[in-house]
Amino acid sequence: MRKSSLFALGLIPALLLAVTADAHKLRTSGVSVAVADSGVRVTPTRDWNRLDVKPGKKAETWTLDGTQLNDVTFYGGIEPGNPLVKERSKKREPLPKFTAATLVVEVPELLESTYRAYKGLAAFTVESTAPAKFLGQDGVRFTYFFTDDDQLTRKGEARAAIIKGSLYMVTFDAPRLHYFDHSIADFRALADSAKLN
Amino acid sequence: MSLFHSAVAGALALTSAAADKQTVAPPPPPYAGVYQPQGVDEIGMWREDDESERKLAASALVIRDEKLNAYVRNVLCETVGADRCRSVRIYIMREPTINASMSPNGTLRIFSGFLLRLRNEAELGAILGHEFGHYEKRHTLNRFKAARSGTDLLAWTALLASMAPSYDARRSYNDLELSVYGSLYRFSRDNEREADFLGISYLNRSLLRPQAAASVFQGLMGEFEASARAKGLKKPNFSKIAFAASHPPDAERAAYLTLLAAPAGASRDNGADRYRGALAPWLPAFLSDQIKLNDFGASEYIINSLAASGWTPTLWMARGDLYRLRGNPRDLVNAAEFYEAAVQLDPTLADAYRGLGLSLIKTGRPSDGQAALRKYLELKPDAADRAFIQMMLPVQGVGQ
Repeated sequence: MRKSSLFALGLIPALLLAVTADAHKLRTSGVSVAVADSGVRVTPTRDWNRLDVKPGKKAETWTLDGTQLNDVTFYGGIEPGNPLVKERSKKREPLPKFTAATLVVEVPELLESTYRAYKGLAAFTVESTAPAKFLGQDGVRFTYFFTDDDQLTRKGEARAAIIKGSLYMVTFDAPRLHYFDHSIADFRALADSAKLN
Repeated sequence: MSLFHSAVAGALALTSAAADKQTVAPPPPPYAGVYQPQGVDEIGMWREDDESERKLAASALVIRDEKLNAYVRNVLCETVGADRCRSVRIYIMREPTINASMSPNGTLRIFSGFLLRLRNEAELGAILGHEFGHYEKRHTLNRFKAARSGTDLLAWTALLASMAPSYDARRSYNDLELSVYGSLYRFSRDNEREADFLGISYLNRSLLRPQAAASVFQGLMGEFEASARAKGLKKPNFSKIAFAASHPPDAERAAYLTLLAAPAGASRDNGADRYRGALAPWLPAFLSDQIKLNDFGASEYIINSLAASGWTPTLWMARGDLYRLRGNPRDLVNAAEFYEAAVQLDPTLADAYRGLGLSLIKTGRPSDGQAALRKYLELKPDAADRAFIQMMLPVQGVGQ
Protein backbone atom coordinates (compact mmCIF):
# COMPACT_ATOMS: atom_id res chain seq x y z
CA MET A 1 0.00 0.00 0.00
CA ARG A 2 2.78 2.42 0.96
CA LYS A 3 4.64 1.68 -2.23
CA SER A 4 1.55 2.38 -4.31
CA SER A 5 0.95 5.69 -2.54
CA LEU A 6 4.52 6.81 -3.22
CA PHE A 7 4.02 5.73 -6.78
CA ALA A 8 0.79 7.69 -6.95
CA LEU A 9 2.49 10.85 -5.71
CA GLY A 10 4.99 10.68 -8.48
CA LEU A 11 2.41 9.56 -10.97
CA ILE A 12 -0.15 12.32 -10.59
CA PRO A 13 1.95 15.30 -11.73
CA ALA A 14 3.31 13.09 -14.50
CA LEU A 15 -0.21 12.23 -15.60
CA LEU A 16 -1.24 15.85 -15.55
CA LEU A 17 1.57 16.61 -17.97
CA ALA A 18 0.78 13.58 -20.09
CA VAL A 19 -2.87 14.54 -20.27
CA THR A 20 -2.19 18.01 -21.58
CA ALA A 21 0.46 16.81 -24.01
CA ASP A 22 -1.41 13.85 -25.49
CA ALA A 23 -5.07 14.67 -25.70
CA HIS A 24 -7.92 12.25 -26.17
CA LYS A 25 -9.54 11.94 -29.57
CA LEU A 26 -12.88 13.27 -30.71
CA ARG A 27 -15.21 10.79 -32.39
CA THR A 28 -17.42 12.84 -34.66
CA SER A 29 -21.08 12.14 -35.31
CA GLY A 30 -21.73 10.19 -38.50
CA VAL A 31 -18.14 9.11 -39.11
CA SER A 32 -17.58 5.35 -39.00
CA VAL A 33 -14.58 4.34 -36.92
CA ALA A 34 -12.85 1.13 -35.76
CA VAL A 35 -12.84 0.43 -32.01
CA ALA A 36 -10.68 -1.58 -29.62
CA ASP A 37 -8.14 -2.56 -32.31
CA SER A 38 -10.61 -5.09 -33.63
CA GLY A 39 -12.80 -5.64 -36.65
CA VAL A 40 -15.64 -3.81 -34.92
CA ARG A 41 -16.71 -0.48 -36.43
CA VAL A 42 -19.24 1.93 -34.99
CA THR A 43 -20.91 5.04 -36.38
CA PRO A 44 -21.74 7.41 -33.53
CA THR A 45 -24.93 9.47 -33.76
CA ARG A 46 -23.38 12.24 -31.71
CA ASP A 47 -19.88 13.36 -30.79
CA TRP A 48 -18.02 11.26 -28.23
CA ASN A 49 -14.57 11.41 -26.66
CA ARG A 50 -12.29 8.42 -27.03
CA LEU A 51 -9.87 8.16 -24.10
CA ASP A 52 -6.23 7.37 -24.69
CA VAL A 53 -5.96 5.33 -21.50
CA LYS A 54 -7.03 1.83 -22.45
CA PRO A 55 -8.29 -0.52 -19.74
CA GLY A 56 -6.96 -3.55 -21.60
CA LYS A 57 -5.21 -4.69 -24.72
CA LYS A 58 -8.47 -5.26 -26.56
CA ALA A 59 -10.59 -2.66 -24.83
CA GLU A 60 -11.30 0.99 -25.44
CA THR A 61 -13.19 3.60 -23.44
CA TRP A 62 -15.44 6.38 -24.70
CA THR A 63 -17.14 9.05 -22.64
CA LEU A 64 -19.23 12.21 -22.87
CA ASP A 65 -18.50 13.97 -19.57
CA GLY A 66 -15.74 11.83 -18.06
CA THR A 67 -15.74 8.18 -17.11
CA GLN A 68 -17.17 8.83 -13.66
CA LEU A 69 -20.35 10.16 -15.27
CA ASN A 70 -20.65 8.03 -18.39
CA ASP A 71 -18.32 5.29 -19.47
CA VAL A 72 -18.71 3.24 -22.63
CA THR A 73 -16.17 0.43 -22.91
CA PHE A 74 -15.77 -1.74 -26.00
CA TYR A 75 -14.22 -5.17 -25.67
CA GLY A 76 -13.18 -6.28 -29.13
CA GLY A 77 -12.55 -9.99 -29.53
CA ILE A 78 -11.26 -11.23 -26.18
CA GLU A 79 -9.72 -14.63 -26.88
CA PRO A 80 -10.09 -17.66 -24.58
CA GLY A 81 -7.66 -17.61 -21.66
CA ASN A 82 -7.59 -13.81 -21.38
CA PRO A 83 -9.11 -11.45 -18.81
CA LEU A 84 -11.36 -8.58 -19.93
CA VAL A 85 -9.00 -5.84 -18.75
CA LYS A 86 -5.30 -5.70 -17.98
CA GLU A 87 -4.40 -7.38 -14.72
CA ARG A 88 -2.56 -5.26 -12.16
CA SER A 89 -0.55 -8.29 -11.18
CA LYS A 90 -0.90 -11.58 -13.05
CA LYS A 91 0.34 -13.49 -10.09
CA ARG A 92 -0.98 -11.71 -7.02
CA GLU A 93 -4.26 -10.28 -8.28
CA PRO A 94 -5.38 -12.51 -11.14
CA LEU A 95 -8.65 -11.59 -12.85
CA PRO A 96 -11.22 -14.12 -14.06
CA LYS A 97 -10.61 -15.32 -17.60
CA PHE A 98 -12.88 -15.74 -20.57
CA THR A 99 -12.54 -19.42 -21.47
CA ALA A 100 -13.52 -21.61 -24.39
CA ALA A 101 -16.19 -23.12 -22.12
CA THR A 102 -17.78 -19.79 -21.16
CA LEU A 103 -21.40 -19.65 -22.33
CA VAL A 104 -23.03 -16.41 -23.47
CA VAL A 105 -25.38 -16.63 -20.49
CA GLU A 106 -22.33 -16.61 -18.19
CA VAL A 107 -20.89 -13.39 -19.64
CA PRO A 108 -22.76 -11.23 -17.06
CA GLU A 109 -21.11 -13.31 -14.31
CA LEU A 110 -17.72 -12.78 -15.98
CA LEU A 111 -18.20 -9.02 -16.04
CA GLU A 112 -19.48 -9.04 -12.46
CA SER A 113 -16.54 -11.06 -11.24
CA THR A 114 -14.09 -8.83 -13.13
CA TYR A 115 -15.55 -5.65 -11.61
CA ARG A 116 -15.59 -7.18 -8.13
CA ALA A 117 -12.04 -8.47 -8.29
CA TYR A 118 -10.63 -5.36 -9.99
CA LYS A 119 -12.36 -2.79 -7.81
CA GLY A 120 -12.78 -4.88 -4.64
CA LEU A 121 -16.57 -4.43 -4.70
CA ALA A 122 -19.16 -6.33 -2.78
CA ALA A 123 -22.26 -4.52 -3.96
CA PHE A 124 -22.86 -5.70 -7.53
CA THR A 125 -26.15 -7.09 -8.81
CA VAL A 126 -27.06 -8.35 -12.24
CA GLU A 127 -30.58 -7.10 -12.74
CA SER A 128 -31.69 -8.76 -15.96
CA THR A 129 -30.31 -10.98 -18.69
CA ALA A 130 -32.09 -11.47 -21.99
CA PRO A 131 -31.24 -12.75 -25.46
CA ALA A 132 -30.50 -9.99 -27.95
CA LYS A 133 -28.67 -9.45 -31.22
CA PHE A 134 -25.23 -7.90 -31.07
CA LEU A 135 -23.02 -7.35 -34.14
CA GLY A 136 -25.70 -9.16 -36.11
CA GLN A 137 -25.31 -12.34 -34.06
CA ASP A 138 -27.29 -13.99 -31.27
CA GLY A 139 -26.00 -12.57 -28.04
CA VAL A 140 -27.03 -11.29 -24.65
CA ARG A 141 -28.19 -7.97 -23.31
CA PHE A 142 -27.96 -7.45 -19.56
CA THR A 143 -28.33 -4.73 -16.97
CA TYR A 144 -26.65 -4.40 -13.59
CA PHE A 145 -25.88 -1.96 -10.81
CA PHE A 146 -23.02 -1.61 -8.37
CA THR A 147 -21.69 0.73 -5.70
CA ASP A 148 -18.18 1.90 -6.40
CA ASP A 149 -15.61 2.94 -3.81
CA ASP A 150 -16.67 6.58 -4.27
CA GLN A 151 -19.96 5.45 -2.65
CA LEU A 152 -21.93 6.26 -5.78
CA THR A 153 -24.34 3.66 -7.12
CA ARG A 154 -23.91 3.18 -10.85
CA LYS A 155 -26.19 1.47 -13.28
CA GLY A 156 -24.94 -0.43 -16.28
CA GLU A 157 -26.19 -1.94 -19.50
CA ALA A 158 -24.21 -4.22 -21.77
CA ARG A 159 -24.46 -6.29 -24.90
CA ALA A 160 -22.25 -9.20 -25.72
CA ALA A 161 -21.83 -12.03 -28.20
CA ILE A 162 -19.35 -14.84 -28.64
CA ILE A 163 -18.28 -14.90 -32.28
CA LYS A 164 -15.85 -17.52 -33.61
CA GLY A 165 -14.76 -18.28 -30.05
CA SER A 166 -13.96 -14.66 -29.10
CA LEU A 167 -15.94 -12.39 -26.83
CA TYR A 168 -17.28 -9.08 -28.14
CA MET A 169 -18.96 -6.76 -25.69
CA VAL A 170 -19.89 -3.16 -25.11
CA THR A 171 -20.80 -1.79 -21.67
CA PHE A 172 -22.25 1.48 -20.44
CA ASP A 173 -21.82 2.55 -16.80
CA ALA A 174 -23.22 5.76 -15.34
CA PRO A 175 -24.47 7.00 -11.97
CA ARG A 176 -27.98 5.72 -11.36
CA LEU A 177 -29.07 9.22 -10.44
CA HIS A 178 -29.73 11.28 -13.58
CA TYR A 179 -26.70 10.34 -15.72
CA PHE A 180 -27.74 6.82 -16.69
CA ASP A 181 -31.14 7.86 -17.99
CA HIS A 182 -29.70 10.98 -19.56
CA SER A 183 -27.31 9.15 -21.90
CA ILE A 184 -28.71 5.64 -22.26
CA ALA A 185 -30.32 6.47 -25.62
CA ASP A 186 -26.98 7.68 -27.00
CA PHE A 187 -25.36 4.47 -25.84
CA ARG A 188 -28.04 2.28 -27.39
CA ALA A 189 -27.71 4.10 -30.70
CA LEU A 190 -23.96 3.58 -30.55
CA ALA A 191 -24.29 -0.13 -29.71
CA ASP A 192 -26.87 -0.60 -32.48
CA SER A 193 -24.47 0.89 -34.99
CA ALA A 194 -21.71 -1.63 -34.18
CA LYS A 195 -20.74 -3.94 -37.03
CA LEU A 196 -18.13 -6.65 -37.31
CA ASN A 197 -16.11 -6.74 -40.52
CA MET B 1 17.52 -36.20 49.21
CA SER B 2 14.45 -37.43 47.51
CA LEU B 3 12.44 -35.32 49.93
CA PHE B 4 14.49 -32.29 48.93
CA HIS B 5 13.98 -33.08 45.30
CA SER B 6 10.28 -33.30 45.63
CA ALA B 7 10.26 -30.10 47.66
CA VAL B 8 12.19 -28.32 44.91
CA ALA B 9 9.90 -29.80 42.32
CA GLY B 10 6.91 -28.69 44.36
CA ALA B 11 8.29 -25.17 44.71
CA LEU B 12 9.00 -25.05 40.99
CA ALA B 13 5.50 -26.23 40.23
CA LEU B 14 4.15 -23.54 42.53
CA THR B 15 6.17 -20.73 40.96
CA SER B 16 5.28 -21.83 37.46
CA ALA B 17 1.65 -22.02 38.46
CA ALA B 18 1.97 -18.52 39.89
CA ALA B 19 3.63 -17.34 36.67
CA ASP B 20 0.83 -18.90 34.66
CA LYS B 21 -1.72 -17.18 36.80
CA GLN B 22 0.01 -13.86 36.28
CA THR B 23 -0.16 -14.17 32.53
CA VAL B 24 -3.92 -14.53 32.58
CA ALA B 25 -5.35 -11.09 31.81
CA PRO B 26 -6.71 -9.31 34.90
CA PRO B 27 -10.25 -7.97 34.83
CA PRO B 28 -10.62 -4.69 32.92
CA PRO B 29 -10.41 -1.42 34.87
CA PRO B 30 -13.72 0.20 35.90
CA TYR B 31 -15.25 2.06 32.96
CA ALA B 32 -14.48 5.77 33.08
CA GLY B 33 -17.80 6.74 31.50
CA VAL B 34 -18.58 9.17 28.70
CA TYR B 35 -15.46 10.93 27.45
CA GLN B 36 -15.22 14.29 25.74
CA PRO B 37 -12.24 15.32 23.61
CA GLN B 38 -9.69 17.62 25.19
CA GLY B 39 -7.18 19.98 23.63
CA VAL B 40 -6.91 21.29 20.09
CA ASP B 41 -5.64 18.09 18.51
CA GLU B 42 -8.24 15.83 19.96
CA ILE B 43 -11.16 18.21 19.39
CA GLY B 44 -10.13 18.60 15.76
CA MET B 45 -9.76 14.88 15.34
CA TRP B 46 -13.21 14.20 16.74
CA ARG B 47 -14.73 16.80 14.46
CA GLU B 48 -13.26 15.05 11.42
CA ASP B 49 -14.36 11.76 12.81
CA ASP B 50 -17.94 12.99 13.26
CA GLU B 51 -17.95 14.20 9.66
CA SER B 52 -16.66 10.86 8.46
CA GLU B 53 -19.35 9.07 10.46
CA ARG B 54 -22.04 11.25 8.90
CA LYS B 55 -20.85 10.16 5.46
CA LEU B 56 -20.64 6.57 6.59
CA ALA B 57 -24.20 6.59 7.93
CA ALA B 58 -25.47 7.61 4.49
CA SER B 59 -23.35 5.08 2.62
CA ALA B 60 -24.98 2.56 0.33
CA LEU B 61 -22.49 -0.03 1.57
CA VAL B 62 -23.82 -0.16 5.12
CA ILE B 63 -25.93 -3.26 5.82
CA ARG B 64 -29.07 -2.04 7.53
CA ASP B 65 -30.59 -5.41 8.39
CA GLU B 66 -32.03 -4.79 11.84
CA LYS B 67 -31.65 -8.35 13.08
CA LEU B 68 -28.02 -8.71 12.07
CA ASN B 69 -27.16 -5.32 13.57
CA ALA B 70 -28.95 -6.17 16.80
CA TYR B 71 -27.08 -9.46 16.99
CA VAL B 72 -23.63 -7.92 16.51
CA ARG B 73 -24.44 -5.21 19.05
CA ASN B 74 -25.60 -7.83 21.48
CA VAL B 75 -22.33 -9.74 21.14
CA LEU B 76 -20.38 -6.52 21.74
CA CYS B 77 -22.45 -5.81 24.85
CA GLU B 78 -21.99 -9.37 26.09
CA THR B 79 -18.25 -8.98 25.65
CA VAL B 80 -17.46 -5.53 26.97
CA GLY B 81 -20.43 -5.07 29.29
CA ALA B 82 -23.57 -2.96 29.01
CA ASP B 83 -22.03 0.29 30.31
CA ARG B 84 -19.15 0.34 27.81
CA CYS B 85 -21.32 -0.87 24.95
CA ARG B 86 -23.57 2.18 25.09
CA SER B 87 -20.85 4.47 23.74
CA VAL B 88 -20.58 2.58 20.42
CA ARG B 89 -22.32 2.82 17.03
CA ILE B 90 -21.80 -0.27 14.91
CA TYR B 91 -21.72 -0.13 11.10
CA ILE B 92 -21.61 -3.43 9.23
CA MET B 93 -20.13 -2.72 5.81
CA ARG B 94 -20.72 -4.82 2.70
CA GLU B 95 -17.03 -5.19 1.89
CA PRO B 96 -15.58 -8.58 1.02
CA THR B 97 -12.25 -7.94 2.77
CA ILE B 98 -11.07 -8.63 6.31
CA ASN B 99 -11.24 -5.52 8.41
CA ALA B 100 -12.67 -4.01 11.54
CA SER B 101 -11.83 -0.67 13.08
CA MET B 102 -12.98 1.64 15.78
CA SER B 103 -12.45 5.38 15.64
CA PRO B 104 -12.11 7.78 18.59
CA ASN B 105 -15.72 9.03 18.62
CA GLY B 106 -17.08 5.51 19.03
CA THR B 107 -17.72 4.46 15.43
CA LEU B 108 -17.15 0.76 15.00
CA ARG B 109 -16.86 -0.54 11.44
CA ILE B 110 -16.84 -4.24 10.71
CA PHE B 111 -16.65 -5.61 7.16
CA SER B 112 -18.89 -8.42 5.95
CA GLY B 113 -15.74 -10.25 4.79
CA PHE B 114 -14.72 -10.54 8.42
CA LEU B 115 -18.13 -11.83 9.51
CA LEU B 116 -17.91 -14.51 6.83
CA ARG B 117 -14.60 -15.78 8.22
CA LEU B 118 -15.51 -15.96 11.90
CA ARG B 119 -16.84 -19.27 13.09
CA ASN B 120 -18.55 -18.47 16.36
CA GLU B 121 -19.80 -15.81 18.72
CA ALA B 122 -16.68 -15.94 20.88
CA GLU B 123 -14.49 -15.11 17.87
CA LEU B 124 -16.74 -12.16 17.02
CA GLY B 125 -16.55 -11.07 20.65
CA ALA B 126 -12.75 -11.30 20.51
CA ILE B 127 -12.57 -9.00 17.45
CA LEU B 128 -15.08 -6.50 18.78
CA GLY B 129 -13.38 -6.53 22.19
CA HIS B 130 -9.99 -5.93 20.60
CA GLU B 131 -11.26 -2.94 18.66
CA PHE B 132 -12.99 -1.63 21.74
CA GLY B 133 -9.65 -1.94 23.58
CA HIS B 134 -8.06 0.50 21.11
CA TYR B 135 -10.95 2.86 21.68
CA GLU B 136 -10.89 2.66 25.47
CA LYS B 137 -7.13 3.24 25.54
CA ARG B 138 -7.51 6.11 23.01
CA HIS B 139 -4.70 4.80 20.86
CA THR B 140 -5.71 6.92 17.87
CA LEU B 141 -4.78 10.11 19.69
CA ASN B 142 -1.25 8.83 20.20
CA ARG B 143 -0.95 8.33 16.48
CA PHE B 144 -2.55 11.61 15.56
CA LYS B 145 0.58 13.70 15.10
CA ALA B 146 1.97 11.30 12.53
CA ALA B 147 -1.43 11.01 10.91
CA ARG B 148 -1.93 14.74 10.64
CA SER B 149 0.97 15.12 8.25
CA GLY B 150 -0.61 12.18 6.39
CA THR B 151 -3.94 13.97 5.96
CA ASP B 152 -2.22 17.11 4.66
CA LEU B 153 -0.71 14.86 2.05
CA LEU B 154 -4.16 13.52 1.28
CA ALA B 155 -5.64 16.99 0.79
CA TRP B 156 -2.97 17.91 -1.75
CA THR B 157 -3.30 14.65 -3.59
CA ALA B 158 -7.07 14.98 -3.78
CA LEU B 159 -6.63 18.35 -5.44
CA LEU B 160 -4.14 17.02 -7.97
CA ALA B 161 -6.16 13.89 -8.65
CA SER B 162 -9.30 15.88 -9.34
CA MET B 163 -7.39 17.83 -11.97
CA ALA B 164 -6.29 14.69 -13.80
CA PRO B 165 -9.21 13.38 -15.81
CA SER B 166 -8.07 9.77 -15.94
CA TYR B 167 -9.36 6.71 -14.24
CA ASP B 168 -5.92 5.56 -13.13
CA ALA B 169 -5.13 8.78 -11.33
CA ARG B 170 -8.40 8.57 -9.46
CA ARG B 171 -7.76 4.99 -8.56
CA SER B 172 -4.33 5.85 -7.22
CA TYR B 173 -5.96 8.54 -5.13
CA ASN B 174 -8.48 6.05 -3.76
CA ASP B 175 -5.62 3.71 -2.87
CA LEU B 176 -3.84 6.54 -1.19
CA GLU B 177 -6.92 7.53 0.71
CA LEU B 178 -7.18 3.99 2.00
CA SER B 179 -3.53 3.83 2.95
CA VAL B 180 -3.49 7.19 4.72
CA TYR B 181 -6.65 6.38 6.60
CA GLY B 182 -5.12 2.96 7.16
CA SER B 183 -2.15 4.57 8.88
CA LEU B 184 -4.54 6.64 10.96
CA TYR B 185 -5.91 3.44 12.38
CA ARG B 186 -2.70 1.49 12.14
CA PHE B 187 -1.36 1.14 15.61
CA SER B 188 2.05 0.26 16.93
CA ARG B 189 2.69 -3.27 18.07
CA ASP B 190 2.63 -2.16 21.70
CA ASN B 191 -0.80 -0.64 21.14
CA GLU B 192 -1.93 -3.89 19.55
CA ARG B 193 -0.69 -5.90 22.50
CA GLU B 194 -2.46 -3.55 24.87
CA ALA B 195 -5.70 -3.88 22.91
CA ASP B 196 -5.32 -7.67 22.81
CA PHE B 197 -4.77 -7.65 26.55
CA LEU B 198 -7.85 -5.57 27.21
CA GLY B 199 -9.88 -7.54 24.68
CA ILE B 200 -9.12 -10.77 26.51
CA SER B 201 -9.89 -9.12 29.86
CA TYR B 202 -13.41 -8.42 28.63
CA LEU B 203 -13.77 -11.95 27.31
CA ASN B 204 -12.48 -13.52 30.53
CA ARG B 205 -15.20 -11.68 32.41
CA SER B 206 -17.92 -12.48 29.86
CA LEU B 207 -19.86 -15.69 29.29
CA LEU B 208 -17.95 -16.37 26.07
CA ARG B 209 -14.92 -18.58 25.58
CA PRO B 210 -11.77 -16.38 25.74
CA GLN B 211 -9.64 -18.95 23.88
CA ALA B 212 -11.46 -17.93 20.68
CA ALA B 213 -9.15 -14.92 20.25
CA ALA B 214 -6.23 -17.17 19.33
CA SER B 215 -8.30 -19.26 16.94
CA VAL B 216 -9.29 -16.20 14.87
CA PHE B 217 -5.66 -15.57 13.98
CA GLN B 218 -4.89 -19.20 13.35
CA GLY B 219 -7.81 -19.26 10.92
CA LEU B 220 -6.66 -16.13 9.08
CA MET B 221 -3.09 -17.39 8.75
CA GLY B 222 -4.34 -20.65 7.30
CA GLU B 223 -6.39 -18.76 4.75
CA PHE B 224 -3.56 -16.46 3.62
CA GLU B 225 -1.30 -19.45 3.17
CA ALA B 226 -3.95 -21.33 1.18
CA SER B 227 -4.47 -18.27 -1.04
CA ALA B 228 -0.73 -17.93 -1.71
CA ARG B 229 -0.40 -21.65 -2.44
CA ALA B 230 -3.21 -21.56 -5.01
CA LYS B 231 -1.55 -18.59 -6.75
CA GLY B 232 1.83 -20.34 -6.77
CA LEU B 233 3.45 -17.74 -4.51
CA LYS B 234 6.24 -18.65 -2.14
CA LYS B 235 4.81 -16.90 0.85
CA PRO B 236 1.65 -15.03 1.67
CA ASN B 237 1.62 -11.24 1.50
CA PHE B 238 0.32 -10.42 4.96
CA SER B 239 0.92 -6.70 4.53
CA LYS B 240 -1.83 -6.54 1.86
CA ILE B 241 -4.42 -7.05 4.52
CA ALA B 242 -4.83 -3.89 6.55
CA PHE B 243 -5.89 -5.75 9.64
CA ALA B 244 -2.87 -8.05 9.65
CA ALA B 245 -0.25 -5.57 8.46
CA SER B 246 0.74 -3.88 11.69
CA HIS B 247 -0.24 -6.56 14.12
CA PRO B 248 2.29 -8.59 16.08
CA PRO B 249 3.60 -11.65 14.23
CA ASP B 250 0.74 -14.06 14.29
CA ALA B 251 2.43 -17.12 15.74
CA GLU B 252 3.58 -15.02 18.67
CA ARG B 253 0.18 -13.48 18.92
CA ALA B 254 -1.71 -16.76 18.93
CA ALA B 255 0.65 -17.95 21.68
CA TYR B 256 0.18 -15.04 24.06
CA LEU B 257 -3.53 -14.81 23.37
CA THR B 258 -3.76 -18.41 24.54
CA LEU B 259 -1.86 -17.56 27.72
CA LEU B 260 -3.98 -14.51 28.49
CA ALA B 261 -7.21 -16.46 28.28
CA ALA B 262 -8.56 -17.67 31.61
CA PRO B 263 -8.15 -21.49 31.60
CA ALA B 264 -11.52 -21.91 33.32
CA GLY B 265 -13.12 -20.22 30.30
CA ALA B 266 -12.17 -23.10 28.00
CA SER B 267 -15.27 -25.03 29.02
CA ARG B 268 -17.59 -22.12 28.24
CA ASP B 269 -19.93 -22.03 25.28
CA ASN B 270 -18.49 -20.47 22.13
CA GLY B 271 -21.92 -19.71 20.68
CA ALA B 272 -21.20 -21.36 17.31
CA ASP B 273 -24.86 -22.29 16.76
CA ARG B 274 -26.15 -18.84 17.59
CA TYR B 275 -23.54 -17.28 15.30
CA ARG B 276 -24.41 -19.55 12.40
CA GLY B 277 -28.11 -18.88 12.95
CA ALA B 278 -27.66 -15.09 12.97
CA LEU B 279 -25.51 -15.13 9.85
CA ALA B 280 -27.57 -17.70 7.92
CA PRO B 281 -29.73 -15.21 5.98
CA TRP B 282 -26.59 -13.39 4.76
CA LEU B 283 -24.29 -16.35 4.25
CA PRO B 284 -25.17 -17.00 0.57
CA ALA B 285 -24.58 -13.33 -0.29
CA PHE B 286 -21.31 -13.07 1.66
CA LEU B 287 -20.04 -16.31 0.14
CA SER B 288 -20.91 -15.13 -3.35
CA ASP B 289 -19.09 -11.81 -2.68
CA GLN B 290 -16.01 -13.80 -1.69
CA ILE B 291 -16.12 -16.28 -4.57
CA LYS B 292 -16.41 -13.58 -7.20
CA LEU B 293 -13.20 -11.94 -5.96
CA ASN B 294 -11.40 -14.64 -7.95
CA ASP B 295 -9.16 -15.76 -5.09
CA PHE B 296 -9.56 -19.50 -5.45
CA GLY B 297 -7.29 -20.62 -2.59
CA ALA B 298 -8.83 -18.32 0.01
CA SER B 299 -12.42 -19.08 -1.04
CA GLU B 300 -11.84 -22.83 -0.95
CA TYR B 301 -10.26 -22.49 2.50
CA ILE B 302 -13.20 -20.47 3.83
CA ILE B 303 -15.80 -22.88 2.44
CA ASN B 304 -13.95 -25.87 3.89
CA SER B 305 -13.55 -24.30 7.30
CA LEU B 306 -17.25 -23.36 7.38
CA ALA B 307 -18.02 -26.95 6.40
CA ALA B 308 -16.04 -28.30 9.36
CA SER B 309 -19.33 -28.32 11.27
CA GLY B 310 -21.18 -30.06 8.45
CA TRP B 311 -21.83 -29.44 4.74
CA THR B 312 -24.98 -27.46 4.06
CA PRO B 313 -26.69 -26.91 0.68
CA THR B 314 -25.44 -23.30 0.72
CA LEU B 315 -21.84 -24.44 1.13
CA TRP B 316 -22.09 -27.09 -1.60
CA MET B 317 -23.56 -24.53 -3.96
CA ALA B 318 -20.86 -21.98 -3.13
CA ARG B 319 -18.23 -24.60 -3.87
CA GLY B 320 -19.94 -25.43 -7.15
CA ASP B 321 -19.93 -21.73 -8.12
CA LEU B 322 -16.26 -21.45 -7.18
CA TYR B 323 -15.25 -24.31 -9.44
CA ARG B 324 -17.60 -23.40 -12.29
CA LEU B 325 -16.29 -19.83 -12.38
CA ARG B 326 -12.69 -21.01 -12.60
CA GLY B 327 -13.93 -23.10 -15.48
CA ASN B 328 -11.17 -25.63 -16.27
CA PRO B 329 -12.70 -28.83 -17.71
CA ARG B 330 -11.83 -30.73 -14.50
CA ASP B 331 -13.39 -27.93 -12.44
CA LEU B 332 -16.67 -28.26 -14.33
CA VAL B 333 -16.92 -31.97 -13.55
CA ASN B 334 -16.30 -31.20 -9.87
CA ALA B 335 -18.74 -28.30 -9.95
CA ALA B 336 -21.53 -30.54 -11.27
CA GLU B 337 -20.83 -32.98 -8.45
CA PHE B 338 -21.01 -30.22 -5.80
CA TYR B 339 -24.26 -28.82 -7.21
CA GLU B 340 -25.73 -32.31 -7.17
CA ALA B 341 -24.79 -32.63 -3.50
CA ALA B 342 -26.50 -29.29 -2.87
CA VAL B 343 -29.79 -30.21 -4.55
CA GLN B 344 -29.83 -33.59 -2.87
CA LEU B 345 -29.82 -31.84 0.52
CA ASP B 346 -32.21 -29.11 -0.59
CA PRO B 347 -34.27 -29.93 -3.71
CA THR B 348 -35.69 -26.37 -3.76
CA LEU B 349 -32.36 -24.58 -4.23
CA ALA B 350 -33.05 -22.98 -7.62
CA ASP B 351 -29.64 -21.43 -8.25
CA ALA B 352 -27.92 -24.76 -7.66
CA TYR B 353 -30.00 -26.24 -10.51
CA ARG B 354 -28.85 -23.38 -12.73
CA GLY B 355 -25.19 -24.04 -11.93
CA LEU B 356 -25.72 -27.77 -12.35
CA GLY B 357 -27.41 -27.31 -15.72
CA LEU B 358 -24.70 -25.02 -17.10
CA SER B 359 -21.90 -27.28 -15.82
CA LEU B 360 -23.51 -30.39 -17.34
CA ILE B 361 -24.04 -28.68 -20.71
CA LYS B 362 -20.39 -27.69 -20.76
CA THR B 363 -19.15 -31.17 -19.90
CA GLY B 364 -21.01 -32.79 -22.76
CA ARG B 365 -24.24 -33.84 -21.03
CA PRO B 366 -26.72 -31.44 -22.65
CA SER B 367 -29.94 -33.36 -22.00
CA ASP B 368 -29.21 -33.77 -18.27
CA GLY B 369 -28.20 -30.12 -18.23
CA GLN B 370 -31.41 -29.00 -19.86
CA ALA B 371 -33.44 -31.02 -17.36
CA ALA B 372 -31.67 -29.18 -14.53
CA LEU B 373 -32.26 -25.80 -16.19
CA ARG B 374 -35.96 -26.65 -16.62
CA LYS B 375 -36.10 -27.39 -12.89
CA TYR B 376 -34.38 -24.04 -12.24
CA LEU B 377 -37.05 -22.12 -14.14
CA GLU B 378 -39.79 -24.14 -12.48
CA LEU B 379 -38.45 -23.22 -9.03
CA LYS B 380 -37.65 -19.61 -9.89
CA PRO B 381 -40.18 -18.43 -12.47
CA ASP B 382 -39.12 -14.79 -12.10
CA ALA B 383 -35.39 -15.46 -12.61
CA ALA B 384 -33.47 -12.51 -14.02
CA ASP B 385 -32.12 -14.61 -16.90
CA ARG B 386 -35.35 -16.51 -17.58
CA ALA B 387 -35.65 -15.44 -21.20
CA PHE B 388 -32.13 -16.51 -21.95
CA ILE B 389 -32.27 -19.85 -20.20
CA GLN B 390 -35.56 -20.61 -21.95
CA MET B 391 -33.88 -19.99 -25.27
CA MET B 392 -31.21 -22.54 -24.36
CA LEU B 393 -33.72 -25.26 -23.62
CA PRO B 394 -34.93 -26.61 -26.94
CA VAL B 395 -31.50 -26.33 -28.52
CA GLN B 396 -29.04 -29.18 -28.15
CA GLY B 397 -25.54 -28.20 -27.10
CA VAL B 398 -24.18 -24.75 -26.48
CA GLY B 399 -26.81 -22.07 -26.10
CA GLN B 400 -25.96 -19.60 -28.78
